[in-house]
Amino acid sequence: MIFAVLIPLLFACFVPIISKIKHKVHTGFFVFVIPFMIFLYFIRFVGTGFSPIRDTYNWIPSLGINFDFYLDGLSLLFVLLISGIGTLVVLYSVYYLDTSERLGQFYVYLLMFMTAMLGVVLSDNVFVLYVFWELTSISSFLLIGYWHFNERSRYGALKSMLITIFGGLSMFAGFILLTVITGTTSIQGMIEQKDIILDSTYLPLALGFILLGAFTKSAQFPFHIWLPDAMEAPTPVSAYLHSATMVKAGLFLVARFSPVFSGYEWFFIVVSSFGIVTLCWGSYMAVRQTDLKAILAFSTISQLGMIMAMLGFGTKVAVFAAVFHILNHATFKGSLFMVAGIIDHETGTRDIRKLGGLISFMPITATLALLGTFSMAGVPLPFLNGFYSKELFFESTLNLNEGMNGVTNFLVQIVPYLAVFGSIFTFVYSVYFFFGVFTGKKNLDKLPKKPHEAPVGMLLSPIVLVLGVITIGLFPNLVNGSFLAHAAQSVNHAFEYKNIQFWHGFTTPLLMSLIVVGIGVILYLTRTKWDAVYRLLPGNWSFNKVYNVILQTIDTYSNKVTNAYMNGSVRTYMAIILGTTFIVTLVFLLVTDGVTINYDNLADITILEISVVLIITIAALGTIFSNNKLAAILILGVVGYGVAILFVIYRAPDLALTQLVIETVTVALFLLCFYHLPQLRKRTESIRTKSINASVAIGFGALMSLIAISAHSSNWFDTISDYFLETALSIGGGTNVVNVILVDMRGLDTLFEITVLGIAALAIYSLIKLKKNEEAD
Amino acid sequence: MEIIISILAGILIATGVYNLLQKQLLRIVIGTGLLSHGAHLFILTMGKLKRGQPPVLEDNITNYTDPLPQALILTSIVISFGVTSLILVLAYRTANENKTDNMEQLRGNENE
Amino acid sequence: MSNLVILPIIIPLIAGIIAVFLNKKVVITRGLTKIFIIANLAIVSYMTWIVFNSGSIILETGSWVAPYGIILVADPLSIVLVLTTNIVAAACAFYAPYSLSLKKEQHYFYAFYFFLISGVSGAFLTGDLFNLFVFFEVLLMASYALIVLGGDKVQLRESIKYVLINLFSSILFVTVVAFLYGVVGTVNMAQIAERVQEVEQKGVLTAIGILLFFVFGTKAALFPLYYWMPKSYIVPNPVISALFGALLTKVGIYSILRVFTLIFIHEINLTHEMFIWIAGLSMVFGIIGALSTNNIKLIVAYNVIPAIGFIIMGIGIFNQDAISGSVYYLIHDMIIKSALFLIVGVIAYVAGTSDLRKMSGLMHHYPLLGWLLFVSAFVLAGIPPFSGFIGKLLLLKGALTDEKIAIVIIALLTSLLILYSIMKIFIRGFWGEKNTTMELGKRSMKGFIGPIVFLLTFSVVLGIGAEYIYPSIDTISAYLLDPEQYIDSVLKE
Repeated sequence: MIFAVLIPLLFACFVPIISKIKHKVHTGFFVFVIPFMIFLYFIRFVGTGFSPIRDTYNWIPSLGINFDFYLDGLSLLFVLLISGIGTLVVLYSVYYLDTSERLGQFYVYLLMFMTAMLGVVLSDNVFVLYVFWELTSISSFLLIGYWHFNERSRYGALKSMLITIFGGLSMFAGFILLTVITGTTSIQGMIEQKDIILDSTYLPLALGFILLGAFTKSAQFPFHIWLPDAMEAPTPVSAYLHSATMVKAGLFLVARFSPVFSGYEWFFIVVSSFGIVTLCWGSYMAVRQTDLKAILAFSTISQLGMIMAMLGFGTKVAVFAAVFHILNHATFKGSLFMVAGIIDHETGTRDIRKLGGLISFMPITATLALLGTFSMAGVPLPFLNGFYSKELFFESTLNLNEGMNGVTNFLVQIVPYLAVFGSIFTFVYSVYFFFGVFTGKKNLDKLPKKPHEAPVGMLLSPIVLVLGVITIGLFPNLVNGSFLAHAAQSVNHAFEYKNIQFWHGFTTPLLMSLIVVGIGVILYLTRTKWDAVYRLLPGNWSFNKVYNVILQTIDTYSNKVTNAYMNGSVRTYMAIILGTTFIVTLVFLLVTDGVTINYDNLADITILEISVVLIITIAALGTIFSNNKLAAILILGVVGYGVAILFVIYRAPDLALTQLVIETVTVALFLLCFYHLPQLRKRTESIRTKSINASVAIGFGALMSLIAISAHSSNWFDTISDYFLETALSIGGGTNVVNVILVDMRGLDTLFEITVLGIAALAIYSLIKLKKNEEAD
Repeated sequence: MEIIISILAGILIATGVYNLLQKQLLRIVIGTGLLSHGAHLFILTMGKLKRGQPPVLEDNITNYTDPLPQALILTSIVISFGVTSLILVLAYRTANENKTDNMEQLRGNENE
Repeated sequence: MSNLVILPIIIPLIAGIIAVFLNKKVVITRGLTKIFIIANLAIVSYMTWIVFNSGSIILETGSWVAPYGIILVADPLSIVLVLTTNIVAAACAFYAPYSLSLKKEQHYFYAFYFFLISGVSGAFLTGDLFNLFVFFEVLLMASYALIVLGGDKVQLRESIKYVLINLFSSILFVTVVAFLYGVVGTVNMAQIAERVQEVEQKGVLTAIGILLFFVFGTKAALFPLYYWMPKSYIVPNPVISALFGALLTKVGIYSILRVFTLIFIHEINLTHEMFIWIAGLSMVFGIIGALSTNNIKLIVAYNVIPAIGFIIMGIGIFNQDAISGSVYYLIHDMIIKSALFLIVGVIAYVAGTSDLRKMSGLMHHYPLLGWLLFVSAFVLAGIPPFSGFIGKLLLLKGALTDEKIAIVIIALLTSLLILYSIMKIFIRGFWGEKNTTMELGKRSMKGFIGPIVFLLTFSVVLGIGAEYIYPSIDTISAYLLDPEQYIDSVLKE
């Protein structure tokens, strides 16, 4: 199985070479073979006797991350969709994309996506699933941005990436949480331990994280906003990724985890309500669109919402209807996207206001569109598959289980009404799509191109899909027992096979369908009168705005915030660093009870020392108040010499000597360097700045003194120096212990201390020599 | 006496910090000088003051001051010297090149 | 055998000294540089092999026994970091001749480069706190020299801030070492650890630890101590930025990792809890910084901060997974950060500007460069299957095991925004119409790409080949969480 998953990716490596060598033949013909082979490989599993297959390859076993492929009914459904629709889409793209485009890149992305999507639906390992999941986001990003010279494409690509990767990361957190709870990385393993998960306090969090991933990917309200903008991708991509496969990854995820969460009431509440709201909002928004692909995008959103809602219901009927509709939606929506692509290709526009009366020019396309739209609308005709799943959907809304929670019961009450409400709009835009384009006035002068029927090759793929619509419509049980039932069973383990029938007698679901058709027709006829409603809702409140505002806010505020403190002033930097260090350390010092003062065993105080200390203190303060640069430098020298005297008093002759020499040289250097610089000016800061400076300085100094006093008051151990005193002569061979330490015991320090000095000298030399920046880099 | 020297070192640190927070380059560099003096005094204090003779071994003396802090200070003094000389030249070059010795005028702006 | 430990410090030192004397003969210096760094890389690889197979290598310099002399310790953590340092350094050595002008090369670039490596390796390998200070000074001094190399106005202006702040933190460092010596009477890290443990980190010790944290935090560019970093990292040549981004802040974070897994581990509820807060704030403010600018170099420089945040987050959580995550992330970040600095260096070079607003359509001329940037964006954000992913997985797992939910959410949002900040460069700079105002396609990328690909290969291998890496990292983590191992191996008890 791993081969089947990875073969598109492997083949993708050769695509650039093929597209370079074979200029005359469309690269698509070579690519076509790949999904077709995968389809053939998997179609053999279809059958009533199917049972799940598992196939494991190690990747990072020490982290529990392995290619653990698990083919059950649900994955089989998706795998066939991915490879089947994939085959048709590649075929279609051969005619859609001209050889002058960068075909190599296009097919590399498409194949990359195929691998990713197959990986998502086949992985039993949550982390591998996540790896493939992000790969779908990345390839989708690249495909949307395929025509990246378009501003809209770039916008759409970024938007889809940010939203789906955001969801992906959240899902990742959810997976880690589940792994931490159950100790396994296998989804099937988690299902076995569902009791532990349901008992865990992290259940809501894990559920929330995972659903966020699913909702963003499957364009659920309010994360649906990326999907309409994703329509900037070439139409084959929209048909494939943004209608048939990738957007269903979220549904797949929810279906996959249904067995884990299905006993949890909030799972029902959240998933069904998001689903049903998305259904209504999507179909409502679709009606007002004028771009054919935008209509289809919102329609996809709404259909995804419907399936999501059914997965949320989780009853046997609902789950079956969901998997059934996943298949049906792929067929009719795939064909409709291709139809939209054909219209765009042959007339040069997708604006429904400019189109009309095309039926006489493109009779085949019109037929395909008719079947596709009517199936989507759920028109009760026995050869349209859309009707079956739509009716099952209505049926499922009527048989929801009451729960313990008030919210649940409320939902159970209103869901049937919302379902009808959303479906009415579905009917309206479906009808509008067909009649608006193919009937009515011909506006040939408004069209950029003179319309004519598409080439056979381009029609081939939508014809196959529409044939699928009709075949499933006529013989629904053909797909039922052989694999839909298996799929439903892997979502709801209690599911049992049942025959699908067209005529159930005059039932409530049928009544609902009829209401939809009835009101739908009225609304369609009067649709121009409804503009006022749209101005009211969403009006200015679209979630697109929210997204744009968020990005803008990030841009402007990040700039403002950063510039507010990163102002380039070294004083600000130092003040913040010192202030933080001071406050935090002080807090820690107090909290841990660190202040200790021990008056025992201190050296005695002599007048000599006190006077030196006073001199140093006065000199140090003098540097602050002096306004003469020469004086300030000399006063600094006084401090240095004072310290040297202290070294003498405290029996450090070597130190005193070094200090004297170095101090002298330093003062000389100071004078040398600052001879040319301006005189010290009076400090002109405000009182506020001054007091901040002063309090930071005093606070910090006091803190250091306090810690120093506490440190030598907590003298709990002998120092290692005793060893040095003992061995300096015997091992080190010298009587001056400090010197022995420097050159022997800590010789490494001294070696690198000299290195530092050497580097400093070299740096100064090159600083002086290399004066001007004589290059552009 | 250790306490007094600790406080003195604290004062040196405080004055150093205060100078560091000024605008003029010279003051800032003077500040760093004060800071290193403070640090050295701290190291010295940590080795206990005046506990015996200078650590130059002689017969019949058993009590010496702690030699290790002295060794550390020596290393530190030399390193400070290196850094101070570098910063002096750097300050000189910066002030010359940018025509100002006021750090507040050396903020720079965004997007360079 | 144990003398091996000194080699990664001494070889660059010798190479640096040779480079000083050969400064005018640039061609020879370049050749020698490559030979030396590859030889060093080979030796370090060999040492890594030894350390993981037969345990830490410990050298008592001058044969002065621990804890009295200076001890060099090549334990699993330090040797892996020295190895990574040399990988990054090798890439930079091959990039440098194309990026630097002859003048800069002649003005001791290679010497400073080697001194920097010597200092960094020394800092990783030393087992002595005061010696760590000395190596810090070596690497800082080399970095001062590198940052001003060229000496134009902007460079000087930012360098002086950089030098001042680092100088301050160095002075604080040496003072804190003294304080610690005052309490425990030693500067050997193993013995400090042993003695701190003996008194259960009581009294003033925790406060001293926190001061030490701030010293290292300033070098590591943690919130709120990172102000010096972003702008000073972008003023020198890209190859120098790459070295800085990969090595300097990482030495700081290494020191925190070392000190707060070895010495100050007895008040975890206080100290390490604070690290998590700081981690979160570093992520937030770092990424805000990265989003605030249109300067591509600055975007990368700001991205150093959230990465450090991720690493400190693992230290704060302080369990096996989290520490593994930190170490993994540390290695990953050293490599990818230098790669990114090199990439934006090339972009700025070919585009003639580092202002994103003036770029567009670079993809038409430099597709390879575009794809390298694209991949590194995902590597940096921790999107699978690259190196950042494994580190992030471990960190988040560690955090969730310890019920630290808030930091997980911050970390995830930060990852997203990191991706956005780099993707901005890709979308605005590489996509779009050809820009006619730029003189594109004229500058060749010859020589630049090799080193970048070399580094990215490691990123990919660290991700996809995690099975070969992770067990070693796990060993390091277990080793860090059991400080007795370090103490025993150094003090031979």
